[in-house]
Amino acid sequence: MGNYFSELGENVISAKQERVRELTQRALADGVDPVEIINSGLIPGMNVVGARFKAGDMFVPEVLMSARAMNAGMELVKPLLVGKEVPSQGKVVLGTVKGDLHDIGKNLVSMMLESAGYTVINLGVDVSAAKFLQAVKENKPDILGMSALLTTTMLGMKDVIELLKEEGLRDQVKVVIGGAPISQEFAREIGADGFAPDAGSATELCHQLVAR
Amino acid sequence: MFMGGNEGGSYRPLTQQEIEMLHKASMLVFEEVGMEVHSRRALEIFAAAGAEVDFPNRRVRADESWVMNLVKKAPSQVKLCGREEKHDLALGGKKVYLGTGGTALNVLDLESGRRRASTLADVRRTARLVDALENIHFFVLPVYPSDLAKENVDVNRFFAGMSHTGKHVMGGVYTQEGVRKVIRMAEAIAGGKEALRRRPFISMITNIMSPLKMDGTYTDLMLTVMEEGIPLATPPAPIAGATSPVTLAGTMVQLNVEALSGLLLAQLVNPGMPVLYSAVPTTADMRTMGFLFGAVENGIMNAAAAQLAQYYHLPLYATAGVTEAKIPDVQSGYEKMSTSLLVALAGGNYIHDAAGLLESGLTVAYEQYVLDDEINGMVVRAVRGMEVDKETLSLDVIKRVGPGGNYIVDDQTYQYMRTEFFLPNVADRSPRALWESNGGLDGREKARRIARKLLAEHEVSPIDQAVVTALQTEMPELIVD
Repeated sequence: MGNYFSELGENVISAKQERVRELTQRALADGVDPVEIINSGLIPGMNVVGARFKAGDMFVPEVLMSARAMNAGMELVKPLLVGKEVPSQGKVVLGTVKGDLHDIGKNLVSMMLESAGYTVINLGVDVSAAKFLQAVKENKPDILGMSALLTTTMLGMKDVIELLKEEGLRDQVKVVIGGAPISQEFAREIGADGFAPDAGSATELCHQLVAR
Repeated sequence: MFMGGNEGGSYRPLTQQEIEMLHKASMLVFEEVGMEVHSRRALEIFAAAGAEVDFPNRRVRADESWVMNLVKKAPSQVKLCGREEKHDLALGGKKVYLGTGGTALNVLDLESGRRRASTLADVRRTARLVDALENIHFFVLPVYPSDLAKENVDVNRFFAGMSHTGKHVMGGVYTQEGVRKVIRMAEAIAGGKEALRRRPFISMITNIMSPLKMDGTYTDLMLTVMEEGIPLATPPAPIAGATSPVTLAGTMVQLNVEALSGLLLAQLVNPGMPVLYSAVPTTADMRTMGFLFGAVENGIMNAAAAQLAQYYHLPLYATAGVTEAKIPDVQSGYEKMSTSLLVALAGGNYIHDAAGLLESGLTVAYEQYVLDDEINGMVVRAVRGMEVDKETLSLDVIKRVGPGGNYIVDDQTYQYMRTEFFLPNVADRSPRALWESNGGLDGREKARRIARKLLAEHEVSPIDQAVVTALQTEMPELIVD
């Protein structure tokens, strides 16, 4: 059975989607515990990918392709987990603030978070404070992430945080922000819990905040 | 990933008509002015071959048909090998390679940053550093070992180079005895006289003096190398406005005569021998008449030299990537990049001086090799240009992704991401917050750290110990380390 796990991990690392699907099917047919397939096969492979990315040896598209390979296995395993909890790092609501239509950076963060095991609810672009609030109420995320590329729209982040305070929800969710004009200083000024300068750091920031 | 040997040729400062105008003017200089040759042997060789030689005035003149007849006999391709085959250079056409140059007298100490006289240890260490840097394709011995007596310099400089890099080693030479010993040494390492001629992993440089003069000592050194049939560069280094006409075109006319002279002599001494059309056209700052190595005009002239070499079907030894800056700084960055880019885009074959040199060629710095490796990497990438075919046009991919999608996780991105882009080692591309948390280093400090790491960790493919021991017995002056 150990063979399945190391081979699954290796194929997640090398992003062999078909091979991961095949191995997962065979492992399940052999009676391997679905939770073990995730925890001892797929996730450890993805952890290696994360470490290599951090060292600069793997690139963003490779990380995302590995995540896609991992998900090919996950899709087969998930339906069998009735009554058991699907392992997740946490839930994140993401969006680009009102008046701002830039979304490649935010989508990249979304993909990187998903690849690291988070459940992401992506609200898209031009998201109003009211819409952020509604999403927090409905999904009860661990983390709310906001993105802005323009110095004129970044102030909208403060409005969202103020609204969360008014509704008494501010202490139930961690708020993280990012985008080209954003700095740690600005995050502190508007009362966000964290700032990440790029997509790789965003994942690490979420790990830290969720662990607290 | 981006090795040398890509084809340049897109930058052409001269039109076809202008190339022919330069050629015709040079031929008139050959015929009416000629070269002054301060070597009895060389004068006799020119005379025996039918050139018009004025012995009392040591003047050699020749007409166009005589010159061109010999030019046609010179090889249009020259292979300069590495001690390791993966570093072989195929010179000719518009293929581009970049490497180091010399000969500097000083080095900026890697630890103190202070300028000091260079030593034999610096030859070894620069060789090892260059061996580790993939965008420096060959090793011209870069510094003079101030710690050695002149008669021991040739042998020890070349041995230090050959034993500390697997790349091609070229160097200036100082004594006839030294030239012969260096060649004997290389033959022993190659496995015999023929083996070295088949795979010449060393080559030599002997200079021609501008304007229009072949010096006695240098020409005798030149003749020795020619008789041995070891690949040779015979560069003249005219300074526009000082030792050649102030105009770039005039300097090129004179340089062409000088460059062809060395090449012709080689073909007379040893027909078919590997020799490079060699060019070091330079300028002076007219405000002071100070010599300039990093001027943009030097880049333009070297690019023109590439066009002339291509016109004659001769492989080119060109010059670029030099600077007047005293330390690795902004000036060294833009001066080096501008000339290297111009000459490489023109298809210069063997672009020397393009790594490590500062202060008009008087000083080298270890971190500068790391910085120039990066400049060269960008230059080589620019030479490679853009591949356009059915696959790279990406029609299917654009249809697949569609409006509003993204290409980050497309298979094509995955397939091309490591080969489509040059990835720098030194340049900082991170957001400010990450740059700050990593120490907020500037390029020079980062390059210093990379140089230290490579010098500590990089291993060079060694020369057979039995060969080294035998050489030590034969040449007691040989310093092995």
